[in-house]
Amino acid sequence: MLDKLIAAEVLEKALSSGGTFSEIFFEDTLVNSLVMRNDTVETVSSGRKHGAGVRLFCGTRCLYAYTNDTSRAGLLDCAAKVAAAAQCAEKAAVAPLTRRRFADMQPAERLPADVEHQKRLAIMRDCNRVIHEVSPEIVQAQAVWSDVDQRVWIANSEGLFVHDRRTRTRLGMMAVASDGKENQTGFEGPGAMRGFELFERKIDATEHAKIAAKTALTMLHAPMCPAGVMPVVMAGGFGGVVFHEACGHSLEATSVSRGQSEFCGKLGQQIASPIVTAIDDGTIPFSWGSTNIDDEGAPTTKLVLIENGILKNYMIDKLGGLRMGMPSTGSGRRQDYTFAPTSRMRNTYIAAGSDDGAEMIATMGDGLYAAKMGGGSVNPATGEFNFAVSEGYLVKDGKIAHPVRGASLIGRGGEVLMKIDRVGKDCSRAQGICGSLSGSVPTDVGQPHIRISSMTVGGRDA
Amino acid sequence: MMTRDEFFRALLRAAKEAGADEAEAYFAEDESFRALASKGQIDDYSVNTAGGVSLRVLKDGRMGSSFTEALDEEAIPMLVKNALASAALIDDEDEQFIFAGSPEYQQIDCTGDPGTPEERIAMALKIEREAREIDPHVTETTLGTGVETERTTIRLMNTRGLDLSHTADMSVCMAGVVARDGSRATTGDSFAFANSLSALDAEKICREAVEEAVFMLPAAPCASGAMPAIFRNTCMVSLLSTFSGVFSAEAAQKGLSLLKGREGEKIAAECVTLVDDPLMKGGAASRPFDGEGVATRRKEVISHGTLTTLLHNLKTAKKAGCESTGNAARGGYASPAMGIAPMNFHFQPGEDDLNALCAKMGRGIVITDVSGLHAGANAVSGDFSLLAQGYLVEDGKKAQPVEQVTVAGNFFEVLKNVVAVGSDLKFPGGVGSPSVWVREISVAGK
Repeated sequence: MLDKLIAAEVLEKALSSGGTFSEIFFEDTLVNSLVMRNDTVETVSSGRKHGAGVRLFCGTRCLYAYTNDTSRAGLLDCAAKVAAAAQCAEKAAVAPLTRRRFADMQPAERLPADVEHQKRLAIMRDCNRVIHEVSPEIVQAQAVWSDVDQRVWIANSEGLFVHDRRTRTRLGMMAVASDGKENQTGFEGPGAMRGFELFERKIDATEHAKIAAKTALTMLHAPMCPAGVMPVVMAGGFGGVVFHEACGHSLEATSVSRGQSEFCGKLGQQIASPIVTAIDDGTIPFSWGSTNIDDEGAPTTKLVLIENGILKNYMIDKLGGLRMGMPSTGSGRRQDYTFAPTSRMRNTYIAAGSDDGAEMIATMGDGLYAAKMGGGSVNPATGEFNFAVSEGYLVKDGKIAHPVRGASLIGRGGEVLMKIDRVGKDCSRAQGICGSLSGSVPTDVGQPHIRISSMTVGGRDA
Repeated sequence: MMTRDEFFRALLRAAKEAGADEAEAYFAEDESFRALASKGQIDDYSVNTAGGVSLRVLKDGRMGSSFTEALDEEAIPMLVKNALASAALIDDEDEQFIFAGSPEYQQIDCTGDPGTPEERIAMALKIEREAREIDPHVTETTLGTGVETERTTIRLMNTRGLDLSHTADMSVCMAGVVARDGSRATTGDSFAFANSLSALDAEKICREAVEEAVFMLPAAPCASGAMPAIFRNTCMVSLLSTFSGVFSAEAAQKGLSLLKGREGEKIAAECVTLVDDPLMKGGAASRPFDGEGVATRRKEVISHGTLTTLLHNLKTAKKAGCESTGNAARGGYASPAMGIAPMNFHFQPGEDDLNALCAKMGRGIVITDVSGLHAGANAVSGDFSLLAQGYLVEDGKKAQPVEQVTVAGNFFEVLKNVVAVGSDLKFPGGVGSPSVWVREISVAGK
């Protein structure tokens, strides 16, 4: 825990050679990781992450130092390191620290530390068993359990002193199907900002396990996807990774504030088709990307990023906001104390529209139905993105013909957004881990079924 | 307050007293420095020291583990309790090992001089300024332009008398730029590393980053089709890194690698020799002992097309009836499982540089960069389908730049269809490669 008096000393020390803002982020986190392959418990590990990071601004320059030594001496030493490199003409004063309290919108009911590993293993065993039961062609099932109980204390020179506890749990299930010559995999990874109650009471993990098995089996018997430019219908849920990569990262102040996004300077302009409304919301209780406060201590917000195709908001952290002359939107996130925060997505989705899911396929001609998406990546400066299709179906003359594998989708964010010509009514979200400058953070992605009138599809058969 | 040494010995003692048959403490600490520049200023500066301890215990043949970053009074009882609880739950029947030591370890000096903070800052500012000034098309540098240094210290100590330590220094310089022409924007980046700061050629990486970005300005998708392709060295490294897991004996024994049981078979073209060399001078992954304390050595994993060995740790070697190849790897102190990793993994270089390979290929594509590897590559099947860029080759010469295409193929087929391996071996990190000419790759563009 972070003592208020020590925090104030550290903030002063950081500013002692000049600076416009100082902050301390103190973290104590317990993690559990368990891996079960088929019926065998392979790894069980519990550990503790612990440390603090001191941040100093001089205008829009940022200095950061972190340490595991959170004694008073260790923290002051950290502050001294940033002060030594400050070279700043201005010097801000530290405002008196006032503890800000808030209602916890997502308290855990069953803290991970109070749960015996046997209980976790029982759920994992069930999932692996269910995966194998789907078909004799399933050769392997692997369950990976991860829970994190993170306690953070944040104090800054503006007088903020705040504490938050975030508990999250996720179970990754992988199924491997084989016909003796080739292997194909299927994956499901449900998670939430909850404790053990997530899989004890709220979600039936075995339902997800069956889906993972079915994906693997479908892909095992699928021919390769042909390559070409064609219309694509994307299913909901993890299909939202499209928006996350194609658009989301390019709307973070991380790149916008440096003029290195294709959406710079476009507030109020049409950047997507008029049927697209997209939202980034950090306030949905228990959702995988939600927190009460962000990792700079600011309250999280619900942001309408795009409304009927018009760009309304960027996601902004403190430093990005200083560069852009705009306030923070509570989007500052970091993996842990070893990273300085930057603006990141939280729960990001395309909102439900009014188009019919069956009609969008029936009228698409020849193309691809991407039922499940894998991950992807983007270069925000150019807008070029890519993502993998983990379960795809060839569509011929408006009818789903057969599954295809090995497909990937590429394009430029701005172009693809303009080519969305159908948005369905059935929005759903799925969990992912997003990697960027401030490390890996949990995020939700989501959308209804959507159709993109034309995309480049990469496949094995040219 | 205990010294580090006292802490480790107390930890191992406590583990045995609590019932462990054997115990091992692994400590890793990083001192890191980063100075990134933008518009003539250092605007991202970071100086850090952090590390942690992992405890492994062996009890009744089962291995458990735990870790902590808080080396306080609670640490020893917490580590011991969690590690023993974990051991009690494991039912992996594979024999586990706490290693007494190899008879001999190669001496290898991985230390260097990271320079002073002032020298690093000066280099970062110089890189950022030069990258902006070389070519008028370059409008700005990207995040991540500057200098990083890191000193890593590792200590491995166990109840069988093993006590090893290793220190490595690494200095890295990085340059990234955005080039513009009208509404077109491209990026280019390059970096270099060495044990010492003074060995870095900052001008070279600036030139490479700028040339790449400017060359790609007129790029467009090419026509789709199957065509001969050369994966440029850094691009081949990306592929090799992504698929390096297929050479792990752990993956093979779990049925997750198609190379299972294929030692002695021809799996690649004759011109392909794949080397793992943990003792390479100046290598990013160089070290005298692996994650379990086994002495490391150089080995050929593929020898003129034939798979000679998979990469092993003590557990997989015992199962397979062979010796460990010294490739045990921990994913850091926080990672519970003792895995397997290659160390300075690379294709042995051939005779021709990239231009000579193009001349011989005559017609095809050079792929300079791929992305989406974490999603578009399947290590289990070997399939990949990735966003790519590069340039066409016509009449044996570099022709128009290509972007926004996908390349698709299968890693195992690529190995079999290698026509020639180039001479331009490059190590962006712990994996290296020369440029590699492959008979045919599927490209989807227009």
